Amino acid sequence: MRAAHRLRSESGYSLIELLISAAIMVVVTGAIFSLVNPSQGTAQAQPEVADLQQRMRIGSETLFKELVMTGAGTYQGSVTGSLVNFFAPILPRRVGRAFPNNTGATFEPFAITMMYIPNTYSQTTISSPMPNVSAELKVTDQTNCPQGQNLCGFQEGMSVIIFDTSGHFDVFEITEVQDAAAHLQHRGQDLSHPYNAGASVTQIISYSYYWCSPLPGSTPCPGDATASQLRRYNGAFEDIPVVDHVVGLQFTYFGDPNPPVQPRPPAGQANCLYDAAGNYVGPGALPPTDGSLAELPPAILRDGPMCGANLNEFDADLLRIRKVRVSLRVQAALDRLRGVGPLWRNPGTSAGGERLVPDYNVTFDVTPRNLNLAR
Amino acid sequence: MAQARFNCSRRPGLRGGHGFSLIEVVISMGLLTVVSLGVAQLFAASTRSNLIARGQTSTTALAEQKLEQLRSLTWGFDLDGTGLPVSDTTSNLAVHPPTQAGTGLNPSPTDSLDRNIPGFVDFIDAQGEWVGTGSTPPATAAFVRRWSIQPLPSNPNNTLILQVLVTPLSNEQARIVSAQPRTRMAGDALLVSVKTRKSS
Repeated sequence: MRAAHRLRSESGYSLIELLISAAIMVVVTGAIFSLVNPSQGTAQAQPEVADLQQRMRIGSETLFKELVMTGAGTYQGSVTGSLVNFFAPILPRRVGRAFPNNTGATFEPFAITMMYIPNTYSQTTISSPMPNVSAELKVTDQTNCPQGQNLCGFQEGMSVIIFDTSGHFDVFEITEVQDAAAHLQHRGQDLSHPYNAGASVTQIISYSYYWCSPLPGSTPCPGDATASQLRRYNGAFEDIPVVDHVVGLQFTYFGDPNPPVQPRPPAGQANCLYDAAGNYVGPGALPPTDGSLAELPPAILRDGPMCGANLNEFDADLLRIRKVRVSLRVQAALDRLRGVGPLWRNPGTSAGGERLVPDYNVTFDVTPRNLNLAR
Repeated sequence: MAQARFNCSRRPGLRGGHGFSLIEVVISMGLLTVVSLGVAQLFAASTRSNLIARGQTSTTALAEQKLEQLRSLTWGFDLDGTGLPVSDTTSNLAVHPPTQAGTGLNPSPTDSLDRNIPGFVDFIDAQGEWVGTGSTPPATAAFVRRWSIQPLPSNPNNTLILQVLVTPLSNEQARIVSAQPRTRMAGDALLVSVKTRKSS
């Protein structure tokens, strides 16, 4: 009897029970899979979206802060005022010993070099002339210099600029401070121009920011031909990535329609704006095309007349710059989160759905405060 | 004998019960579904947060762009001539690219941040491109950008207060419905700056 009872209770499901349970199972598992599949896509894509946005913020903030400060000049001693009164503090190319072929005729739309004087005591003049080939620098002990030092607070490793009123400048690095002997040693880079006593010498911040990539319109990154980065180069040996997965960077320049009138060389000397007799020979006026400013196309910024010399040569129209437009584009790092089409500069292999992260493109204008002081 | 062999083949763990009933399976599936839905909402929340963050980054960049355009307009002194103040009173920043058919840095109407006043408003699409100006946004617009130029009361001839408001169109429509134009909402970007004439 017990065996018979057990058999009755273990006789299995009826057809109706089986059908109902199978139907419920299909509905429930279907619902779960419909949630799980996009959730996996979302779990892959959203951290990348957050990272992409953060990279954009870092890239745009870095460029904005540097551009806003560009042109800030000396504010202590006998020579003060914006750097644009002496030379062009914005150059549309990479500048430094790694790029010996970049001269005044070079225009790189994906690169910019910016210079400004930071908050520093080290602002003075040279006390004896500096020939082109010189490893030594003697400076004047001005009243603004820190007391008890012969060398105005200059320190080893500091980036320093020397410039005069004729439109010449040179940036170099201090390698040794010989306070007792009252002179500074620098790396021995040949200067682009011999400077007379009285030329300004001061600490400087000078960086070239550029986009490197295997994509068209750029240049391969040094040491990593497959990378797409925003990089910062200091003109000597330091070249570091700032932001990864950058797939576009373009600078557009806007300037004063009126021709530049500074720098004015000493009597008897000529530069890109004045001849030796003091007559103006610089570029003419431009029609305003952007409100009260004029867009400065690449051709204008490399056709001369040229100021400065050698690697620091620059077109006189660069002295007009009052506004810079920056267009920055970053992409998702993973191929499988990028698709094909106009939303992606660098196509990927995404299967679609939640796994699509479009490129992020931001365009912003910057009006460098120190290039617009009297405007 | 056959029955004894059948009993021996059963696993001991099953002897105390008879598997799950249909009700148990349905309840467990229901629980699983509820939990899964809760987790899925987290994903939706993260997507939404990223969208909001992207929107705020974009509105801030758009506001910054207009503020920089305003700052680029001439507001100085005629250093090569008479030394008198020189001001841009003709640029029109409401069109792209800017033209000379506007009012430059002349003061704006006091409510130019609250409603669309031609010359002090433009419309931007979701990609950040300029798509128009005027009193009503075009169909492709995603953001409204308005700005205000007011003299500083203590130094009206030389110092300006510049303000730029960028707001998503959805916020703008909610504001119109509530009839409270000055309401600031999440997703708006409002930047304020001061511009002063300098001689050098």
